[in-house]
Amino acid sequence: MATSLRPTRVDRRTILKTGAAVAAVQFASPYIIKARGETPIRIGMVDPITGAYAAIAQGEVAGAKFAAEEVNKKGGILGRQVELLIEDSANDVGTGVQKTRKLIDRDQVSFIIGDVNSGIAIAMAQVTSEKKVLHIVSGGHTDPITGTSCSWNVFRVCNSTAMDCNAIASTLIEKLGKKWYFLTPDYAYGHSVQSGFEKLLKAAGGTFAGSLVPIGTPDYSAYLIQAKAFSPQVLINIMGGGDQVSSLKQFVQFGLDKQMAVAGTLFELESIRAVPDAARVGWWTMEWWWDQPGVPHVAEFNAAMKKITGSAATARNWFGYTSVQTLAAIANQEKTLDAVPLARALAGFKLPPEIALQPGQPQYRAGDHQLMSTVFVGEAHPAQGDPDNMFAVRSPVPGEKAAGPVEDTGCKIQWPA
Amino acid sequence: MTLLLLFNITNGLIVGAFYVLMALGLSLILNLSNVINFAHGGFLVLGGYIAYAITPYVGFWGALLLAPPLTAVIGLIVERLLIRPLYGRDPLYGLLLTFGLAFMIEDGTRFIWGAQGKPVAIPAFLAQPLSSDLFFITWYRLFMVVVVIVAIALLFLLLRYTRLGIRIRAGTLDLETVAALGINVQKLRSLNFAVGIFLAGLSGVLAAGQLGLDPTMGTNLLMPSFIAIIVGGLGSLPGTLIGGLLIGVAAGLTSVFFPAASEAVMYIMMAVVLLARPRGLFGEEGIMS
Repeated sequence: MATSLRPTRVDRRTILKTGAAVAAVQFASPYIIKARGETPIRIGMVDPITGAYAAIAQGEVAGAKFAAEEVNKKGGILGRQVELLIEDSANDVGTGVQKTRKLIDRDQVSFIIGDVNSGIAIAMAQVTSEKKVLHIVSGGHTDPITGTSCSWNVFRVCNSTAMDCNAIASTLIEKLGKKWYFLTPDYAYGHSVQSGFEKLLKAAGGTFAGSLVPIGTPDYSAYLIQAKAFSPQVLINIMGGGDQVSSLKQFVQFGLDKQMAVAGTLFELESIRAVPDAARVGWWTMEWWWDQPGVPHVAEFNAAMKKITGSAATARNWFGYTSVQTLAAIANQEKTLDAVPLARALAGFKLPPEIALQPGQPQYRAGDHQLMSTVFVGEAHPAQGDPDNMFAVRSPVPGEKAAGPVEDTGCKIQWPA
Repeated sequence: MTLLLLFNITNGLIVGAFYVLMALGLSLILNLSNVINFAHGGFLVLGGYIAYAITPYVGFWGALLLAPPLTAVIGLIVERLLIRPLYGRDPLYGLLLTFGLAFMIEDGTRFIWGAQGKPVAIPAFLAQPLSSDLFFITWYRLFMVVVVIVAIALLFLLLRYTRLGIRIRAGTLDLETVAALGINVQKLRSLNFAVGIFLAGLSGVLAAGQLGLDPTMGTNLLMPSFIAIIVGGLGSLPGTLIGGLLIGVAAGLTSVFFPAASEAVMYIMMAVVLLARPRGLFGEEGIMS
């Protein structure tokens, strides 16, 4: 192989360009996963199948696929088979919007589901309301989706951050104390959760401090040093995904779990699985839990998901499942695919037990289109018996109680003329 | 407050030591092969996952010993098949290749081990802090620093006193003369690449023990290493060493006063260094130039 011995030297500018490109990696869109066939009713799903949220997004996709199979077994929607088209948003707003447009314009989908990333979900909602397509946000949590940015065609399955905060805050204040330190990811979701907690803590006369942490920070030691200097009773860890895993691991390795409690809103089963036993600690909210003795259909759903994924069903599986099942149920009930009448019917729609998979009959609240789903407040612990038995539900809080009145959400739904 | 600053400086040095380990590998490859190895973070992740895969059979210590050379072997194969044909071309070719490689490794690990992060257990006695006052210095982090120091010492000894090291240094200065003296330059570059990837693999195992494993973790760790090289100065390994420690301490200190800017401060430092001294702090001298 001929090789020149005097290669072009790498200069500083090339390195700088490289640096800029490294930063761009996170926004690039590597590939698209598609599931296609020749079936008439199409549901488009946009989720970040690659990137930092890949694990939870793939969980939603697995649940949605299973739901589509179930719906088809029972005759589909209006007698037509359902086809699920899955697109990767690559955790990027521009890509998410472009994929949504493509699904609606080119693939002619009747419904849209997504995204895990709240920023993308809100941007997608602008497209779907403009195009008049019924849209279910499966897993994006920030309040504005069913609050100040709510829309007639957008419904949400996962909780709002306010619901999660409200459900757990009083437990934390009662059981653990009123001096808190926040470890908060520096973007919309983190700010939203922290301000929710702050409001409740101030009302209870508590004190707090906190660090805003850039997403993707590889090492949390510096922030934990600040936290320890404040000597809080509770460290509120709002970090998500891999960031939460890394920060909790370091928290426990530093022995801080013996000096303060740790708690927060979400510590999803996917994340609990990713930490070693020692870091399976703290008080958290689970938005759905696979082990609900006595609640109908839960065990069957869990068994079915276990067959597909190899492990117990997660909240993300249920988000995807419920999103697709909701669309099928409402379309079959109203016998139409037209978004406006469907959205009107879905406002106030109560989920039947085989879709709800939880106590009671949660409904999509008419005032803000938020599903009034039970919030499972409890404690994480190392696996006992079943490898996925790593969370003990202490108090299930009904959705209505956690959500508070509609007026507080700031949502005013404008229906199209 | 003084104590807090002292804590953060010490902590910054520990974090910086880790960046150094990764940046040294990157720097080695850059100096001799002129390849801006974008896939370095990918090799780090690979090292971590290999350790995860073999831990059940050989234990943590076995994995620590075996995973880095296994990663280096993969690096060697990649160098032979993909990178070697690009030597002598514009560095952009190598950059684009490794850029693509980074994606392939990330998606490859995701395909093999799943998108969900993996817990990596370390021996219990390492997962303890030294004392409740020095809570942020765990035995594991101390051990990590020792490994980094040993690795750096070995690397510098290798470069200074062994035939291979002397040839690598000579090749960095004047590859043509080295070739004219009858030294197999291809082999030299391969070995040099393997040493660099060995360091990436070692970083991966160490990072996995502290932070857990995730297919995307390489990207987050790659950026500080690039900055360390630029701040320290291209072509200078001691510069890379100082650069890594400096950005670690700077990020730590910033987190006391303005936590949200602790990442941005690294870039600000880079900008300041580039404006005041474009070749980097030690870009002029050092054993590699």
